[in-house]
Amino acid sequence: MNQRNRHLTDAEANTAGTAPGELFRDGKIHSDAYTSQVIFDLEMSRIFHRTWLYIGHESEVGQEGDYRTRMMGRQPVIMVRGSDNVVRVLMNRCRHRGSVVCEHSRGNTSHFRCWFHGWVYDTTGRLAHVETPEAYGDVEFSYENHGLTPAARVDNYRGLVFASLSPDGPTLAEHLGQATVMMDVAIDASPAGQIMVDQGVHRTTFRGNWKMVGMDGYHPNVLHASVWQILAKRANKSFRDTYSDSDRAVRTRAFSNGHVMLDNMQQRLSGLDKRLDDLKKMPGGEEYIAAMRGAYEPARAEALIASAGDPHLGLFPNVQLIGNHIRVIQPIEPGLTQVDFYPTRLVGVSDEINEQRLRQHEFFYGPAGTVSPDDAEIFERAQIGMKASFTPWIDLRRGMGLEERDPAGSISGGITYELTQRGQLDAWKALMEEA
Amino acid sequence: MNTPDILRAVEQFIFLEAKHMDAHDFDRWLELWDSELSYWVPCNADEGDPKRSVALIYDDRGQLEDRLMRLKGKQAFAQTPRSRLMRVVSNAVIEGQSATEVVVSSVFSLGEWRSNHETHWFGRNLHTLRITSDGFRIRQKKVMLLNNDGPMPNLTFLI
Repeated sequence: MNQRNRHLTDAEANTAGTAPGELFRDGKIHSDAYTSQVIFDLEMSRIFHRTWLYIGHESEVGQEGDYRTRMMGRQPVIMVRGSDNVVRVLMNRCRHRGSVVCEHSRGNTSHFRCWFHGWVYDTTGRLAHVETPEAYGDVEFSYENHGLTPAARVDNYRGLVFASLSPDGPTLAEHLGQATVMMDVAIDASPAGQIMVDQGVHRTTFRGNWKMVGMDGYHPNVLHASVWQILAKRANKSFRDTYSDSDRAVRTRAFSNGHVMLDNMQQRLSGLDKRLDDLKKMPGGEEYIAAMRGAYEPARAEALIASAGDPHLGLFPNVQLIGNHIRVIQPIEPGLTQVDFYPTRLVGVSDEINEQRLRQHEFFYGPAGTVSPDDAEIFERAQIGMKASFTPWIDLRRGMGLEERDPAGSISGGITYELTQRGQLDAWKALMEEA
Repeated sequence: MNTPDILRAVEQFIFLEAKHMDAHDFDRWLELWDSELSYWVPCNADEGDPKRSVALIYDDRGQLEDRLMRLKGKQAFAQTPRSRLMRVVSNAVIEGQSATEVVVSSVFSLGEWRSNHETHWFGRNLHTLRITSDGFRIRQKKVMLLNNDGPMPNLTFLI
């Protein structure tokens, strides 16, 4: 069997490699962490089949029977709102012979039927029908014990549904910690404090490792110069570098458990007047500003309007809140990753403002956008280069020792500091070392 | 023009468009468009309301010119080096016709070669062409990709 393509079982993976966490130490990471099938299999079992993963948004399954199919690591799952109005995350796997029972990516149904032998499950996952059950005879078999297996834990933060395949471990609230303060920035851009995920999805792939979809404030001036040039042209200004370590209005920031952000809240706030002017030219803009001032304290309303719902936050390991979208990272192989971008709609905001948000999203992101295609390209170049093994260590020490600890507990630094990468990899290391 | 004549003229026009796209000839391609234009590549489904659904591309003239400005520059790294492209456009059907406009549907099969990797794209076009004394101009173009609901690599060339 081709060793590279052979997947380890979770049990095998757990005994392979004695100290995978050592691949990240002293601010450096070994390329094997990005290219090795053994490490990838360990990541599946120790990270993706254990910690909290973002699954989807409640609004995607607004009605009873609404479902979406998703992946948790290697496990196909169904997020479904059952006939009892409870949102569940169920293994998409017939309890008989293992076929997926839901072959569509989205829809509404009263039942999930396996078309191999006709077993039927209701939308709560309960086994409702078995063809010719009498053949089980004396075999101990009960419908109650053969429902679709639920994820061990499901929880939700303000509509964002997370699940974990481990019955033990930190609660979702403990896992997210203070990062929820920044999640609120994305949600409270709506005066109703509510977002909807009902405008479709950009699905993309790149031939590189999932961890490259990090949070990096060092690259935009270089990799995305073509984008800043367009924005400068539109604003009738000359092009200049956007990010500088001496600018305290843009910072890298790391919370606990690998959640990190490019904190541009202060920079956004300094653009508040322009943002207000732009909004006032939009149908519904004055009403939006008034609604925000009615819903939040004055300083909070200004910060939320200025930030336009973009906390630029990554929640380890599989979701980011950036721009006007929720970004989901799905590892497929060591050198293959799927990235899905779900644009968000703000509740209580005019159709025109929401449409403008969609068009802004398309300009930056998706397969035909500006920023994400160049990101995908450079991730692929990195994946090729990392196959060279003579100098395998990747140096992520920018800003190491220069970080500041903030009163609220996060760590921050200059915008080009690699403390965001180190923050994510600290969480990676902790999970990888915990067999 | 009678129907066979206009079909032949329309086909020649969309073949010429395909040639410019394959050659990354952004300036000549843009000259084929009308002054006011709509360029729509839907996402997730062939139909839908682009005001409420995300698109792969939904450009007016200004947005399209910005897109071309970027692709023509040296810093659109997703196209450095550029893809080699070859497409076959076929199955043209006149879907509607007036004194000033003609609507034509067609299909394409497009091979992309880049970074030692071949990607095969398929799609259906719907062109709304304005008839001018100087030939056709593209008023609207809608491209319905076969895989528009699936994960896809970069789509950073003319489609």
